[in-house]
Amino acid sequence: MTLIGVPGRSGVIAVARRLAGHLARGLVMILVVTTISFLIIRNIPGDPMAAKYEKLVEQGMSPEAAQQAVNVLYGFMPTGSMWEQYLDYMKGLARFDLGQSLNVPGTGVGTVLMSAAKWTLIPVLAGTLLSFLVGIILGVYAAIKRQSKVGDLLAISGSLLHGLPQYVLALLLAAIFTTLIPILPAGGTADIMFEPGFNAGYIGSLIQHATLPVVTYALSSYGGWILAMKSSVVTVLGDDFILAAELRGMKRSIIFRYIARNAILPLFTILALSLGMLFGGAIFIERIFNYPGLGLMLIDSITGRDYALMGGAFLLITVAIIIANIAADLLYTVIDPRVRSGGEAA
Amino acid sequence: MSVTSDKRAPGVRISDLSVVYRTGAGELPAVRGVDLELEPGTITGVVGESGSGKSTLALSMLNAVQPPGRIRSGSVEIDGLGDVVTLGGDDLRKTRGRHVGYVFQAAQNSLNPLKTVGKQLLDLGRSHDVDDLPGLVKEARSLLDRMGLDGARVLDSYQHELSGGMRQRVGIMLALVLNAHVVVLDEPTTALDMITQATILRIIREVHEERGLTTLVITHDLGVVAEIADRLAVMYGGRLVEQGPTREVLGAPKHPYTQGLLQAIPRLVGDIDEARALPGRPPTLGTIPPDGCVFRERCAVRMDVCETGEPPVLTIGPRVVACHTAAGDGEQKETVTTGPTRGEEQA
Ligand SMILES: Nc1ncnc2c1ncn2[C@@H]1O[C@H](COP(=O)(O)OP(=O)(O)OP(=O)(O)O)[C@@H](O)[C@H]1O
Ligand code: SF4
Ligand SMILES: [Mg+2]
Repeated sequence: MTLIGVPGRSGVIAVARRLAGHLARGLVMILVVTTISFLIIRNIPGDPMAAKYEKLVEQGMSPEAAQQAVNVLYGFMPTGSMWEQYLDYMKGLARFDLGQSLNVPGTGVGTVLMSAAKWTLIPVLAGTLLSFLVGIILGVYAAIKRQSKVGDLLAISGSLLHGLPQYVLALLLAAIFTTLIPILPAGGTADIMFEPGFNAGYIGSLIQHATLPVVTYALSSYGGWILAMKSSVVTVLGDDFILAAELRGMKRSIIFRYIARNAILPLFTILALSLGMLFGGAIFIERIFNYPGLGLMLIDSITGRDYALMGGAFLLITVAIIIANIAADLLYTVIDPRVRSGGEAA
Repeated sequence: MSVTSDKRAPGVRISDLSVVYRTGAGELPAVRGVDLELEPGTITGVVGESGSGKSTLALSMLNAVQPPGRIRSGSVEIDGLGDVVTLGGDDLRKTRGRHVGYVFQAAQNSLNPLKTVGKQLLDLGRSHDVDDLPGLVKEARSLLDRMGLDGARVLDSYQHELSGGMRQRVGIMLALVLNAHVVVLDEPTTALDMITQATILRIIREVHEERGLTTLVITHDLGVVAEIADRLAVMYGGRLVEQGPTREVLGAPKHPYTQGLLQAIPRLVGDIDEARALPGRPPTLGTIPPDGCVFRERCAVRMDVCETGEPPVLTIGPRVVACHTAAGDGEQKETVTTGPTRGEEQA
């Protein structure tokens, strides 16, 4: 007899089936996004490739060489039928070849994306996890103390922050901490006076520069967590099995774990969604704080008509959302046996 | 009456118990002035319509009335434990489960959906400092086996993998597995088919006799009481209106409400033409009359005195009945004085 909740054989199959479903949906999403990117790049008014080609010819390049250079830049032949171009583009993508960046000449889009991605990914993840943890703990507290002033205050703080648009919050924070009381830097990832590497000065400067974006991400999602967790806990507190556990004389700590685990469950779905939203929000936040992540890069690529980079950024954001969804779903599956068994009750 | 000789079976004395719920119209009593003695080793059945206060009474046995309710006055004395109403904190928690087993009315949903039955059993054992956890698992498995289940498999299952009847039996197992000697079962067979119901009642009776328990069974089904209870108490509008040995009460009911209940059941009356439903509806918290007899709205034999006069509680041999019509049949119990307010002690 095993008392450990290891998913049985049928459980593993159910998990695999869900994962396959996610991957299939993800692949479709990627196809759609890349196709749209291709169509934008190919059909944008004032054809950027033709413009580039003419510019190169003007600079004295031979038409063949100029053609070659443009091909390299965009990852597909601007000649031939639309369909052939599309296939070329997709073949490039399948080899993880996203083309060349215009803004940063001589650098692959992939490289540019990767160097920008970490400045978005890490602050967004740090901010979200921070607010998730704080929001959940305070949400439980607000639920337990819902009859008292403390509980009311917590819920009100949650509603206020939840109602405040993220960019307004960012502007407020920027105004307060970089202008009114200028204790935090107004842009960049670290002071250039520090040698990048594993040294206290550089790391301190990194943290200082990341503070405003991270705090913005955290504060703007915290309200949602506290409200969602509070209502989830209140629901679970009213569930029969909690009273039943009390009537059996279960220890408070054990009952608390029962409540927490059941209440947190629906929040994983929201976590996945909110990560996606935050990546979208990063465009405004990074603009406001002048923080060189994906968002700022995307804005630069739009103003600089760097369509390959734009396409790559869309693709990356899509992939990030898909991964966040899969991660949330797997977590859900690990915690909730009802999902794991795929509904085949005995 | 059975096994009264078993020394382990504790007696339970509920005295002048009143429980109120806070509502928009103030605190209203759901249980009022209830006196009930559970003799050691007996099964007592409590019957009454929905809303008559049965579950509230049952929860009081564990001092577990939920807010916005509280025990306003009275006591629940259990031999060896003292007055449960005055217990609090860890003492109260350890009493629950360990000394008083409780089968919850909604036993269908009494399990944490995220953990197997076995893991919750271990949580229960740890909560009560059981050293021999393998022994506990063995005991649980054998209880489940007796109730016609595959014990090992059930312990390995999650709630959603069990049928309603299986969950009910798991609830009963969890109430018995720690060897509690007072067991409270709130509607243990509601929502079960007749055969499962019969099986479960048989097992309750068997385990009760084997272990020498003192058992309280709450039900709205007179058939269940007839089958299993030694003594019967009838509740109406938060009051105990009649109690006595099951056979005597069912055979010759003295209270007009008990008489009405019995007449409403064709199979107990014998002749289907004589079956008559009680007219009217049972009162709710807000419509229970504050004085006079709670049953008078539906009573066929009410008198003027019933409007204002509290029915006298008369003891006639082993039977107790609270009705003006019974006056003169027996000796009146001395007037009960309301005990001190104990609301502050509620957890
Ligand atoms: N939490 C509560 N708040 C307000 N009133 C309540 C609450 N719980 C119970 N009551 C009221 O107390 C009275 C007694 O309820 P109780 O649950 O004890 O009845 P019951 O006899 O067990 O009914 P049933 O057969 O439906 O289980 C009812 O009128 C009910 O409406
Ligand atoms: S006290 Fe009066 S109203 Fe109440 S049951 Fe007896 S006769 Fe009927
Ligand atoms: Mg009830």
